[in-house]
This record gives sequence, structure tokens and C-alpha cells, in this order.
Amino acid sequence: MKRRPIAEVMLALGGLITTAAFFMAFLWAPATVYPDGRINFSQKIFYFHVPVAEASFLVFFFTAFYGVRFLMTKDRRYDVMARVATEVTLFFVLLTMATGILWTRVEWGVWWQWEPRLTTYFIMTLLVIGYFVLRNSVEDDEKRATYAAAFGILAFIDAPISFFITRWVESIHPVVLAGGESSGLEPPMLITFIIAQVGMLMLGYAFYQMRLREEELHERLEALKISIGG
Amino acid sequence: MDGLAWRQFKAILRKDIVMELRTREMVTSMGLYAILTMVVYQVALSEAGASLDVRLVMPGLIWVAFIFMSLLGLNRSFVHEKDQGCIEALLLAPIDRPVIFFSKFTGNLLFLLVVEVLSLPVFSFLFLQEQQGIANPVWMVGLVLLGASIGISGVGTLLATISVNTSGRDIMLAVLFVPLMYPLLRAAVGATFAAVIGGPASAALFWGWMAWVAAFDVIMLLVAFALYEFVIGA
Repeated sequence: MKRRPIAEVMLALGGLITTAAFFMAFLWAPATVYPDGRINFSQKIFYFHVPVAEASFLVFFFTAFYGVRFLMTKDRRYDVMARVATEVTLFFVLLTMATGILWTRVEWGVWWQWEPRLTTYFIMTLLVIGYFVLRNSVEDDEKRATYAAAFGILAFIDAPISFFITRWVESIHPVVLAGGESSGLEPPMLITFIIAQVGMLMLGYAFYQMRLREEELHERLEALKISIGG
Repeated sequence: MDGLAWRQFKAILRKDIVMELRTREMVTSMGLYAILTMVVYQVALSEAGASLDVRLVMPGLIWVAFIFMSLLGLNRSFVHEKDQGCIEALLLAPIDRPVIFFSKFTGNLLFLLVVEVLSLPVFSFLFLQEQQGIANPVWMVGLVLLGASIGISGVGTLLATISVNTSGRDIMLAVLFVPLMYPLLRAAVGATFAAVIGGPASAALFWGWMAWVAAFDVIMLLVAFALYEFVIGA
């Protein structure tokens, strides 16, 4: 069994960096203003909401990736990796939903709006939850792993749709980093955002590795139990 | 496709069709389900008043009926295979797995289309008599039916193969199927709406939504086809 000190390092570093980005967001990055001159304070959630959302898409990719790897090799380790990646995805998805809903309440005046980005992201949430419902209802280990891999790959197709939908169709969800004249950020805002994003990805990696290690320990424990005739 | 695969494809499809003709189980239960859904729609719309233009909500209503109806049929199509041990026989026979996928897919598509085509006139008989008819030619609605049913049957065949092996069977298929179908359903409702309501921009709108339907079909069919071999062998 390998020790992975890198997970702890990433956790500490990611924690520090995201905390730093949090302070930078409030103390350094300039606030945006509404057309009527009022300060747009709710925009500050951008430095948290967008990093967790991007992280959720990225980690979800590994569900599909390890799903493909599992189907190619039938190696159980990839199934565990895919499941752990989906767990981390669920964590980020719920954070994205929570922060998004807070922002829409302040900015749009409603908690929820059936808007293309929100709708496709909600669908993605349901798919991630469905992945675990599916896993829980299959008894046989190999069947469970195969079905989960297949569903994970199918489900991931929604992620790029949800990501690009605001660029394809008319949507009231802001598209900040799309290029074009009205988009883009001032340098201090962009730097703060990038730092928050890097920190969040480090945290995601740390959660993934630590959960994976927990799973490995759990499996070793089960194997030991069997070996002593338990 | 070479001659052997084509004969195998026909044999499995014929088996499904013969079984359906003898039991009439899928088409009857799906058709009844569609009619029951219309009764529920009558209840749902009963307080909306005579001023409601049913055509505005009709595209959504028919796709709600079709998606839940297809859930029923898809489940049925594999419960037999599983409970009577037919799937083991299919797997033991020297048949390529893709052939099994395409024959089951074609069978499901066929039954789904039959029920859809039969229930649409009933729907318009019950709800659209006092309304204006469909603005654009009827073949446009037919095209949406075909396009969306291909996607429904393709993904549905794969997911039904999965869900029949789970403990929750019926509910499991719904949990996996409905969210995956969202992009297709949205496009199907959009295209149906454009065909029904009409207007100067409706042709462009229709083909725009149909492009989504086609894209979904191609992507999902390819992925489902690629995954089927693993899923049915598990």
C-alpha cells in the first residue's frame, strides 16, 4: 500500500489558497457596479460559485474516464476510482447549486428559474444522484461496476451540454469568460478568480485521493477479516 | 452488414414481433397507458377554461405521455427476456452483441411508433376538435415522432438492459432514463410546437430543433451501441 502524502499537502495548500482567494475577493478585487451606480456586492460569490462549478465538471469527467478504463480492463480499482470521482462530483455539484441559488435569489429575485444553464445543471445533478441509486440497487459486484461505468459515460454527455449551453442559446445566466467585447475581467479580478480556481481544484484532488485511500483501507480491512476467518 | 448478421437480426426481430402479435402485451399496455394519460390531462386542464388554446400545451402533453409510455414498453421488452431465460439463450447463441442491440432497438422503436401513431389521432379527437388544426404539414410532426423515438429506443434499450438486472426495475429505469432524455425531449417539444403553431419563422425553428434531435440521436446511439456489448455481457 502506497502512502500518498501529496493528498495532505494538496489539502493544506488548497485550503490556504482558497482562503486567500476569499480575502482577495473582498479586499483586493474591485467591486462591480450596477448601471445606476450601486455597488454589486452579490458578484463576490463569483469567486466561489464558478470555481466549484468548473471543478464539478472536471471531476465528473473522471467518472466517465475511469468508466471507460474499467470497461477496457475490467480492473476493479477503476470502478472504485470512478465511484470516488462521482462522490467528489456530487459534493461540488451540491455546493454549486447552493451558491447558485443564493445568487439567483439576490440578483434575479427568485430562488429558481428554468433557464438553460440551471436546467441542464439540475439534470446533471439528477444524473449524479441516479448514478448512486443505480449502484445501490445492483447486488453483484461486477454487474454493478459495469452498469455504473456505462451510466457514468452516458451521464457525462450532459456536462459539456450544460457547460456550453449559455454560449449556444439565449440565456440569462452570465457568461464571464466567453471572449467578446462586454466580457472579461479586470486583472485583479481575473487573478483572484484563477487563484480561487486553482485552490478549488487542489481541494478536489485532495478529497479524491483521501477518499480513495479510505476505500483501500476499507478493502484491506475486509480482506483481513476474511483471512482470519471472520 | 453481411448476410449472416442480417439473418440473425431478422430472426430476433421476428421473434419479438411474433411474440407481440400473440400476446399484444406491449402495444395494448402502452396504448391503454396513453389513453389513461389523456383522461388525467382532461382532469388537469378542467379548470383552465374554454379559452385555453390546447395547441400551446399539446406538444408538451404528448411528449409527457410518450416518455412515460415508452418507459412502460421498454421495461416490458426485457422483463420477458430475463424472466423466461431468453437472454441467456441469446447470449449463448453465436450472435454478435451489436446484432442483439440493433434488433431489440428496432423492435422497441417499431412498437413505440405504432402506439404513438395510433394515439395521436385519439389525442386530437379528444382535445383539438374545437381548435384550429395543425398549422404545418402533418409529416413534420411525423418526422419529430420518428427522430425522437429513435433516441428514446436507442438509449432506452441500453438502460432497460441495465434496469432489468437491478432490484428496483421500473423505478430504476425512470430514474436513469428521464434525466438522460431531457435534451431530446426539450428538442422534440420545440419541434412539435413549431410544427403545430406554425407562423412565418416556424420552418427555421422546426429545423433548428430537429438538428438537436438528430445530433442527440447520433451521439446517443453511438455511445449506447458501444456500451451495449459490455452491459449485456455483465
